[in-house]
Formats: sequence, C-alpha cells, structure tokens
Amino acid sequence: MTTEALRAPRIATRPLRRISEKSGLDTAAGHVLMVLLSIFCLFPVYWMLASSLRPANAMFETSLVPTSMSLDNYTQAIDAIPIARMLINTLVFSVLSTVFQLLTGIIAAFAFARWKFRFDKLVYTAIALTWLVPFQVVMIPNYLLIAQMGLLDSVAALILPNLAAALAILLLAQAMRGFPREVIEAARMDGARNWRILWEVLVPNLRGTIASLAILIFISSWNEYFWPLLLSRTAENSVIQIGIQMFMTAEGNQWGPLMAASTLASLPVLLIYIVLQRQVVQSFMKSGIR
Amino acid sequence: MAVAAAALPRRRRITQSRWAPWLYLSPAIITLVVWSYWPLVDAVRLSFFQWNMLPTSPQTFVGWDNYVRIFALPKFWQALRNTGVYILGLLPLAVLIPLAIAIYTHDLPERSRNIYRAIIFVPMIIAPVVGAAVWRWLLDPGYGLVNQALKGLGLNPVKFLSDPNVAIWTVIMITGWKLMGFSTLILSAANANINPSLIEAARMDGASKWEVVRDIRLPLLSSTVLFLVVMTILLGAQWSFTYINVLTGGGPLGSTSNIYYLLWDFGFSTMSVGWSSASAVILFLGFGAVAFVLFRLIDRYSFHDN
Repeated sequence: MTTEALRAPRIATRPLRRISEKSGLDTAAGHVLMVLLSIFCLFPVYWMLASSLRPANAMFETSLVPTSMSLDNYTQAIDAIPIARMLINTLVFSVLSTVFQLLTGIIAAFAFARWKFRFDKLVYTAIALTWLVPFQVVMIPNYLLIAQMGLLDSVAALILPNLAAALAILLLAQAMRGFPREVIEAARMDGARNWRILWEVLVPNLRGTIASLAILIFISSWNEYFWPLLLSRTAENSVIQIGIQMFMTAEGNQWGPLMAASTLASLPVLLIYIVLQRQVVQSFMKSGIR
Repeated sequence: MAVAAAALPRRRRITQSRWAPWLYLSPAIITLVVWSYWPLVDAVRLSFFQWNMLPTSPQTFVGWDNYVRIFALPKFWQALRNTGVYILGLLPLAVLIPLAIAIYTHDLPERSRNIYRAIIFVPMIIAPVVGAAVWRWLLDPGYGLVNQALKGLGLNPVKFLSDPNVAIWTVIMITGWKLMGFSTLILSAANANINPSLIEAARMDGASKWEVVRDIRLPLLSSTVLFLVVMTILLGAQWSFTYINVLTGGGPLGSTSNIYYLLWDFGFSTMSVGWSSASAVILFLGFGAVAFVLFRLIDRYSFHDN
C-alpha cells in the first residue's frame, strides 16, 4: 500500500489499454468525477485562505475571489490572543514529541529485531494493543496523574504521554526485521557492540522509514487537540489548536480573525506538504489510518 | 589464562543478552504502562466509586451503582444509537464512494492522477479544529456560503448545525470530508496492485467491463475494503469527536452526541469521575469485543491473490 504500488502498473497497463480501446467518454467521466471530488476536498481550505484576506466590510461577500485584500484579520487575531507564543508552544510540543517517539521507538524496535527473549511476543502484542485503547477511556486517570504531578497547564505535561507510541515502535520493528541479518552479523564480527550496530549500521540505513515516521508524528502532534484541551488553563501555555477555538464562542463568531488564526495554524503543515508531498502521502498510507 | 580469557566475554554476552532487550525496551514500556495500561486499571477502579475529581473530597465506594445508573440513562442509549448512525453514515463516505472512484478512475493518465491524488489528500493533513472552523463558516445559517447559495437558488436556508434532524448528518459529512481522499488513495493503490494479466485474460475470454469489476477487481479488493470497513467501525465515531466538540457540543438535544462524546461530557462537564469511568469501561469492553470479532472475520473472509 505504498506509492510504489500506485506507480507500478504504469508500464503494465499501457499495452492493455490499446487492446481494450478505452473510450474517451469514459476517461472524461473519470476526470469529471475526480474534479468534483477535488473541489469538495480543497474548496474549504481555499475558502479559509480567501476569507482570512478579506477586509472586515467585505467579510460576507460571496465572490469566489476577494475583490479587495487586507491583513486586518491577522492583526486582529494577533491582538486578541498570544498567537506567536501559542505557535512556539505547538512547535516545541511537536518537535519534542517527534524526537522522543523516534528515540524510544528506535531502541525498542532494536530489542525486538536483535534478540529473542522470554515474553518477546507477549510484549510486542501488549505494545500493539495500546493502539486500540481509545484516548477517552484513559483520559481521566491521565488527567489526575498530571494534576498530582502539579503539571496542569504546562507544555511539559503535553509531551509526557507522548514520549513513546505504539505506532513508531511497530513500524520501526517491521523495518528493522526486514534489514539483512548478514550486515548486522558482519558488524558484530568486526567487534561492534549492539549500541554501535544500532546507531552506525541500522539507523543510517533506515533513514527513509525514520524520516517518513518523523513527518507523520510531527503533523499529528501539530494537529493534536484533545489532550491540550484537557490540560489548558491559560492561552500562554496552550497550543494553537486551542487558540483557534477561542474565536468561536456561544455569543458569536469572529469569522475574520477565526479564518486568519486557522490559516496561521495550517501554514506550517501545508508548507511541509507542498515541499514533501510524495513523502507525506506515503508515510500516512504506510501507517494505516491513525 | 587463555581459557579464562575466552570464557569471560562469553559469560558476559549471555548475561547481557538476558537483560539487554529489557534495557532497550524500558523507556517505551514505562511510558506505555504509565499512560495507557495503568490508567486502564485505574479507570476500572474508579468506576466503582463516586467522586467529583476534587482532591479534597472523599471517594465513596458505590459498588455497581454507576453501571446500573448508566444503563438506566436515556442519554446513554441515545449516544449508543448515535454511535451506530455515525458508523453507518460514514461507511458510504469512507468506503463505498472511494471504492467506486478508485475503480472508475483506474485508467486515468498517470500525470493527472498524481495531481488529483495530491489534492484529495489535503483534508487529511488539515487539523480537525481548522476543518471544524472552516465548515462552521461555510455552513453558517446567516452568512455562510452554502446557505447564501441555497438562497440564491430560491431555497430555504438550512440550519446545518442547530436542527436536531440535520446536525448529525452534517457532522458525518464533515468527518467524511476528512477521510474520503485517504480511503480513495488506499483503494487506488490496492486496485493498481492487481495483476493486469488477470484482467487481460478475462477480457480475452470476452468478459464485459462490469464482469471484470465484479469477478476480478471486487474480490481482489475485498481485503482492503474489509480493512477500511473495520477501521470505520472501530474508529469512525471517534474521528468525529473533535467536530462534535467544536461544532455542536453534542447538541441540539443530544442529537449529535456519541459514546465518546458522552464520556467526555460525564467526566469534564459534570465532573462525575465514577460515571465517566464506568462508561469508559463499558466502551472499552464493547470496543474490544467488536474488534476481536472483526479481526476474526478479516482472517476468515479476506481473499488473497498471492
């Protein structure tokens, strides 16, 4: 289920298409279908951008392209909540979660790939099963634990439960098992210790897997909403996703600043996507859905 | 001397290999035990107590009371029914339509397919809160683009998020928006993986286009389809959580609340730890049972060509 699979049939289907004499009408209908789906998927994102650039007096215009543009919504949003601070918190949270999940994942996966030990299958299954524990089931005990530690309303508390994740461990363990044993044995013959084998032989060779995992963890951490929602008390110690919500209140919505804050929150992820489109799609598909 | 020198490293390797894996695993195991397994046990314990989450107030043991009360609560059954509606409503969006699109667009030229692929994946990387904000704006009853368009067509505006009969379908549609492109990609990849010689052989035998789809593509896609169905059943209601929380707060009149939202509501709006934990335990057991049955079904019924 990787992009490899998407690209593979290019060579194979060419001659086939000539035999089957695929009608142009069918292809046109296929295009129509895909264009409709594309509009459905992309239009809300475009509308967010367009609305964020409209001046206040043109907010309710329905022209698809803004007739006049201004950055007023952005300055308003920045005045209303500490957006820069929240973006930095989000960045710190996402980067640290990514680094820690990769580190704990790499060494844990190495244990499974390198040794057979008592209960190894059991531990592996136990790790895999945490993937099936809905967050809502453990949220109250987790919240109480953070409260006991006196860490409510802090970025550190956001990171703690994200120091390790089943997904990283499982994907890396799979990748390491696929690594040729002879190379590891050869390194061992040369007298390399396990720690060095891991960091000097395995990790450099698994760059691709590690990079795509890093993208995946970073984007999911950046978009994380539920856990920060539980812990946040003040805007200064919270993440941007919570900041967006502050523009939607029961009394009414400040549409302009809301769209501006949403755009600012999405820009980093969209930029990553534009630059690394192929890798991003691939890493999400490799991981299944979550 | 020589014998001792040779024996020493060997012994060290044995002791090392007994402890080394655990040493390497310890950071991961500690994190998962502290933040997943222990909380699970604690949730079971708390489900037998009555407590309002304040450290100063006492935890009173109430036995099975919390469970009995939850099962007697109309709200619980409404949320359970809604969970079912979410799953059923998401299946066409997350499985059926993507399947049709994947099969139908199989023969599109490589380059345009890549462009479509890049576009339909965008909702997947957009934060759920951002998605919720944008849809709230698009669907606003007064000034939202969708209702403006309806008015332009001479139709009555729809209260997408405040009409109890419509709200749940709106949340389902938005969740589907997030997932559709992703499912389409997974199914296209699986579809492209089908060995073309199988299809060529069938065509040589005079099979019509529909027969090729029915007798070759669908059976060979069945394991991917099953996978997506299982994911939708297991996680579908959970994916909509952010949208429910940001857009409707479970309302109007509890019409969009599902079991995950109810848990949140019990725990953090009513501050009743016992109720929330009891429904968490019910959810976890139900969820586990459904997952077990579904994974058995996958093992038995999926069809492999290699």
